[in-house]
Amino acid sequence: MSYSTKFRSLRRLVTASALLGALMGVLVSPQALAQAANTKPIRIGVPTSVQLQVGRDTLTAIKMAVDDINKKGGVLGRKFEFVAADETENPETGISAIKKLTADEKVDLLIGGYTSGVTLAQLPHISAAKTIYLGVGAASPSITAKVKQDYDNYKYIFRVGPINAAHQARSLVDYISNFVIGELGYKNIAIVGENAKWVQDLVPVLAKGAKDVGADVKLTELFDTQTSDFSPLLAKVKSSGAQYMIVVLSHASSDVFAKQWHDAQVPVPYGGIDVKSMDGDFYSRIGGKSISEVAANFAVRAPLTKKTVPFFDEFKKNSANYPVYTAFFAYDSVYIYADAVKRAGSFDTDKVIKELEKTKHEGVGGEITFDDMHDVQTGKGKMNLIFAQWQDKGERAVIYPKELRTGNFILPPWMKK
Amino acid sequence: MKAFRGLDSISVAGGLGALAFLGFLPTLFPGKYLIGVLTVAAIYGIWSVSWDFMSGLTGRENFGHSLFIGVGAYTAGFLNVQFGWGPWWSLPASMVVAAFFGLILGFPTLRLRGPYFALAMLSAAVIMQRLMLIFWEFTGGEEGIQDITPLIKDPLHYYWFVLALLGAITWFLAWMARSRWGLILRAIRGDEATCLAAGLPITTYKIASLIISAAFAGLGGALYAHYQLQVSPQLFAVVTSITIITMVYVGGMGTIFGPVGGALLLTLMTEGLRNFGEWRLMVYSLLLIFILFFLPNGIVAPTWNKIRNLFSQERP
Amino acid sequence: MEILIYGAVTSAIYALLAVGFTLIFGVARILNLAHGSFYALGAYGTYVLTSMVGLPLWSAALIAIAFVAVFGVVVEKVLIRPLRHSQLGVLMISLAVALVVEQTLFLVFGSEYRNVPSFVDTKINLGGVDVAGQRLLTLAVASVAIGALYMFIQFTRLGSAILAISQDPEAAKYMGIPSDKIFSLVMAISAALAALAGVMAGPFLSVQPSMHLLPIVKAFAIVVVGGLGSIPGSIAAAFLLGYAETCVAYLISSSWTEIVSVLATLLMLVFRPAGIFGKRAAF
Repeated sequence: MSYSTKFRSLRRLVTASALLGALMGVLVSPQALAQAANTKPIRIGVPTSVQLQVGRDTLTAIKMAVDDINKKGGVLGRKFEFVAADETENPETGISAIKKLTADEKVDLLIGGYTSGVTLAQLPHISAAKTIYLGVGAASPSITAKVKQDYDNYKYIFRVGPINAAHQARSLVDYISNFVIGELGYKNIAIVGENAKWVQDLVPVLAKGAKDVGADVKLTELFDTQTSDFSPLLAKVKSSGAQYMIVVLSHASSDVFAKQWHDAQVPVPYGGIDVKSMDGDFYSRIGGKSISEVAANFAVRAPLTKKTVPFFDEFKKNSANYPVYTAFFAYDSVYIYADAVKRAGSFDTDKVIKELEKTKHEGVGGEITFDDMHDVQTGKGKMNLIFAQWQDKGERAVIYPKELRTGNFILPPWMKK
Repeated sequence: MKAFRGLDSISVAGGLGALAFLGFLPTLFPGKYLIGVLTVAAIYGIWSVSWDFMSGLTGRENFGHSLFIGVGAYTAGFLNVQFGWGPWWSLPASMVVAAFFGLILGFPTLRLRGPYFALAMLSAAVIMQRLMLIFWEFTGGEEGIQDITPLIKDPLHYYWFVLALLGAITWFLAWMARSRWGLILRAIRGDEATCLAAGLPITTYKIASLIISAAFAGLGGALYAHYQLQVSPQLFAVVTSITIITMVYVGGMGTIFGPVGGALLLTLMTEGLRNFGEWRLMVYSLLLIFILFFLPNGIVAPTWNKIRNLFSQERP
Repeated sequence: MEILIYGAVTSAIYALLAVGFTLIFGVARILNLAHGSFYALGAYGTYVLTSMVGLPLWSAALIAIAFVAVFGVVVEKVLIRPLRHSQLGVLMISLAVALVVEQTLFLVFGSEYRNVPSFVDTKINLGGVDVAGQRLLTLAVASVAIGALYMFIQFTRLGSAILAISQDPEAAKYMGIPSDKIFSLVMAISAALAALAGVMAGPFLSVQPSMHLLPIVKAFAIVVVGGLGSIPGSIAAAFLLGYAETCVAYLISSSWTEIVSVLATLLMLVFRPAGIFGKRAAF
């Protein structure tokens, strides 16, 4: 056999291995190279549902805060930059997003979150990476419960928002007792929610609380999150004798729910927690059919604090719409972290955590402080659930709490006497 | 050597070489991120290989493989969290439970032909997923089970452990495929009536191969649970089954080792496409169409055959 | 009473979907997983034509349906026909098409729900039950469409050709029936029916990129229960499933409805793969 043919196969093997190695390298090295050059900026990792409004608004809000702080010189001489990773609504993708951000992008802190199930799945991996995590979207109490159960491993976790589901249930009970029963005089209520874990945790608390304040809960039903035809459900609500329908919706098709409720002219007004209804364009995108729905919001464009209205207006300039709730908390998170670092005088994780715990920050929706589970607190002057109603021409009026009221409650058009 | 019957030394060398390469990869490019991706790729490899053994050989495509995966994973979760058993028990337990499901599902469905079997298994997987959600008090609903303890704390060592299992399972199933067993399964794919006429107990073989396939899928599920440290109903999703079938397609159906390459390639591609953000799934789907049209025998197996032929030509 | 009416509306939509699905299967042996995409494109097409182009609703709907029919024919000719020798190949490619359509809709329109205006925006009270006008219109339109299809197949020459091919493709070829052209025609009809369902149901059901999933699952379930390839079977099964789901939603709870169709599929496959009216058990 000649020299050239003898080594032909060897050369081919070497070429093939080299190509394969190059493929691996292409996937991994750009990040490695980038890291070598980026030791100075503070990197924020944003795990969020990039494809949804909550994700987009989280990123817009962080950008606003980062630009503002950087303009003023950054923090302790370092400027911020941020990088997003899509966690979708799937725990597996969520975990790999955390790994990408912490192990590959080597971020200094994490701000983000939306689906409780994904966040819960990410917690052990965040803890293993010893990176501070400021949650802005997931409401499950189990997330912060871990901080108390296992402080050493989970002290990195903070929830800047939203108010956890248990608090939300209490706020909803207050709404029922003071407004639905107190002002509207409706004692018979129906409770309707999507069959998701956070709702399953919330509804028993809600039902019991409602009964304790004198409501007669005529019907409680959880429907499959993927339901697209609510007519049987709505008919059941109507025949149950309920005068008001309390809803608890997040991932379900609120748009369709509102449309079907409106088209069938169900003689039962509704309100409650409806995450999709927090979107600024909810009313207009369903042809105005959510009129008279009361939805809980964490902030609306009203002077809740000095920062509220300027934030809303500035946000609208940067994006085509008004912000959803993750945006308020994401915006506040950046400042809270920056302030904690300034007070600690260093970027050392443990020192920053100690300062974060002492946070007292005037945020977009209220004053932000943390309890011993690193969970945002509610109360007078702090973050609260605000109930706003969709009214004519897509205007939203705050109708509860009474101190913040900006308009009068209206009934659905077909129920006007 | 009987263990390597039917496998020439080039294939053996190739297989061991690939394993060694994969094992050394994290040392060349250190970082938890790559180890994580490779671990997931290896687990997908186990799932793909187990699928190929049954469906690739018999031609009965199982669209519900995710059921066995989910069942194995949830078994691991329950034993570890609810009953407090040590994580090592999950491995055999998940295999047993998954095999059991293979048995009870195999009996009624394996007599169905063509897409009916695929559809029946798919329905079964969807029902399991729904049941996990409906009985949320026991299963944790869509949040699933959290706080599973890891099997081996060090990610690199765990990766090597999974890789070793992948190698062992692939070798075992490839050996089975080359034995009389594989011959019969392939014959079933060809013409069942003839097999029956020849007096072969094809039902036994079909169900047995489903059980084996299920057992390894369940094992993969348990490995996954102890890596992700949580399980959720997403594991039962149709997407999981379809992803695995795509991996087998890319790798080369019926070859057993091809799907390992397919799993690796596709997992890396999915992560590599992360930067494409919203376009990721689109690229994935277009790629699928491309492969279906132009590379019906997959990429990995034909490529390997070409490489192998190169070597055998050179021998004097 | 409510169950009667709501069940009828649900069944009508399901029937439109199932009949198209079983038609293309009976004639061309194609299990088209992209069938749900036709449904989605019908709804989105109407949305685009009304809100972005500004056409009146009726013309927008008709154009959307026509467009989807053409799309269906193109997909069949270009993507499915070359792979017809492999059952799995057809399944996979139609699935891939469905995914590509979903992703395209997602990239173009975003993940939020879109609003398709109703044809009829009133509420009608039928026997003490409040029903949205749009739903009753859907019921009416679906009945007319299916009735028309049935008459077409039974009473026209083209219809007989379709029947011939579905019963015996070889013999039909010998008789000079151009099977390829008939496949295209049947695909067009199948896609048009699905698009019609999308157009009619879009106003009151959800319009978002992944809306193709549930219809295809339901269509599959119905067609299996009714018997693959049998139109009367599909219609009967559609009503069976529609009413079963409505009953479950009323009497038990809405969280169990989605499982009904899948369970029905599984049970039917296990106990009677031919379905209620099917002629073939397997193939």
